[in-house]
Amino acid sequence: MDQNKTSKEILLRMVKSFTENEVAPFDMEIDHTRSYVNDLLNKIKETDLLSTMLPKEYGGAGFDGSTTAEMINEIARGNASLAVTLEGHFKSIDQIVKFGNQALKDEYLPQAKSRIIAFSMTEPSGGSNPLGINSHAKHVGDKWIINGDKIMITNGGLAEIYCVLVKTAPEELSFFVVDKDMEGFEFGKQENFLGLTGVPVGEIVMNNIEVDESHLLGKVGMGKEIGDSAHNDARVLMGAVLTGIMEHELDIVTDYATHRKAIDTPIIQMQGIQRKIADIAIAKETTKLLYQKAAWLKDNRQDYEEEAAMAKAYGSRSAVKSGDDALQILGGYGYSLDYPVEHLIRDARAMELAEGTVEKMRTEIALIEAKNRA
Amino acid sequence: MKIVVGIKQVPETTNVKINEKTKNIDRRGLGGVINSYDLHALQAALAIRNQVGGEVITLSMGPDDFAVSLQETLALGADKAVLLSDRAFAGADTLATAYVLSEAIKKVGQVDLVLVGQQSVDADTGQVGPIIAEMLKVPQVTYADKIDAFKDHLVIDRKLENMEQTITAKLPILLTATDKANRPKYTNVVEIAKSFDKPIITWHAGDLDLDEKRVGQAGSPTIVRSISEPQKVAKKNHRLSNDPATAARELVDILKQKNILTEDK
Repeated sequence: MDQNKTSKEILLRMVKSFTENEVAPFDMEIDHTRSYVNDLLNKIKETDLLSTMLPKEYGGAGFDGSTTAEMINEIARGNASLAVTLEGHFKSIDQIVKFGNQALKDEYLPQAKSRIIAFSMTEPSGGSNPLGINSHAKHVGDKWIINGDKIMITNGGLAEIYCVLVKTAPEELSFFVVDKDMEGFEFGKQENFLGLTGVPVGEIVMNNIEVDESHLLGKVGMGKEIGDSAHNDARVLMGAVLTGIMEHELDIVTDYATHRKAIDTPIIQMQGIQRKIADIAIAKETTKLLYQKAAWLKDNRQDYEEEAAMAKAYGSRSAVKSGDDALQILGGYGYSLDYPVEHLIRDARAMELAEGTVEKMRTEIALIEAKNRA
Repeated sequence: MKIVVGIKQVPETTNVKINEKTKNIDRRGLGGVINSYDLHALQAALAIRNQVGGEVITLSMGPDDFAVSLQETLALGADKAVLLSDRAFAGADTLATAYVLSEAIKKVGQVDLVLVGQQSVDADTGQVGPIIAEMLKVPQVTYADKIDAFKDHLVIDRKLENMEQTITAKLPILLTATDKANRPKYTNVVEIAKSFDKPIITWHAGDLDLDEKRVGQAGSPTIVRSISEPQKVAKKNHRLSNDPATAARELVDILKQKNILTEDK
């Protein structure tokens, strides 16, 4: 028996059943109440879904990047917010695994089974431009003293552990790991975002938080490298979320178009409708292939930055456009807040911004293409 | 308590295709899942084991790829699994299937309790469990809604069409579980990897004491002559009169014509 293949099949069976029974029926309620109803956060802890890609030596299930992305894809088909909450947690675990010293890994990775970890770069003064930030850490004896204000953190307020980007010198960026239970840690304002409304997005304020040397993630000055790595990992999973959103759109439009009749003919028989549905399916499949290729490259220790950027750049615009097509097919129902299509558009739209704007994706893709030919 | 749970892997219901030649479900290349009633049987078995001690052994007959479902039962908490796989078993109906399963249960030995789902969601016969009980010559309680385990006996609630029963039963016994018996847990993601430390044993025809005439197609008196999807009939509208009394009379007449209502004699 191929252990990896069998494990993956059992995981995906479980996730499919979990999504169908626990997530999808609550999709609208999550969107409307802006919270994870049905005790979902406890359920993802009890089933150890939070530990899907956490290495086995730290108590996790140790699934590879491709399997983790497919699992995210399946959950997103039921509700994109929950998939993004998991994506934020997994990308943070990834950076501690890649860059953390042994003491940091031993302290925080076992906790990732039940405590969500978040990754925070943005500040009021800088997002995609990391040198624009003001948060800083000062080396005092064998401790670091951290001060600053981080905003728009995915899972901000929900997560209990934060990887934070700060300046350790005027032109030097470094990452530290802080815990919500540390003295000087405070939660700030929660954002009131348009889409992915289940995901808490919030602020943390750090007032003289004192941490040991071991809480430095990677080495001093590695802030940009770690930030880029986190972006790449997140973009693979965002491709999976966007695929899930488009699958959800297809579920809705095919069902509607099969049953909705114009005079005596189901509208699925009409070419104008068929074209829209086909376009959604093509966009879904293309995004899926892009994120799966990126995940495969990552699992096989090859460069995946470009494919990850493509999955997010192509997938996000495609999912918004597909949502718009789905809305048009459903007519008045599509435009209603009582039906899910409109929130799928709002959800997809978030991913043209988060983890680097699509404009930044295209810059990266173009520069990689030029570099490959230099 | 030594408990054997029968597990059937069934196609995901949206994927079912019928083989035109054999009139059987074509399982090649289909994504499978554990029959949902069997998950209730397994959950009941695990609860009993956790309450009174013992071991849970899952048992399935099918091709090698059914091992995935048995691995899933190990991740869900079963202690070991047995796969009955042999080309000679192919084409078995409920009788031949129950025969091989009952012989395997005899080989396991000293089994106190056999638990199966009330029926499978693909074939829907509900026959295999009861036939196993007859072949093993043990009592059976079908449609168990609630099972309370004690050291040497069980108390079982079953809800039938026109009565509710509470049965106290000695061991050994075979039970078939309904979907009201419990709420099956989801597979724990971390337990999937750990489940590979537990054994799946494969028994072929030669490993069991079998009469070859009772195995596979040769041992299957059931012949499926034809199988088809129900035809979809378009809905028709029939407008009744506006006057309620007249409309009621018209409705009764229509129902009588269709033999849905009959005259009292």
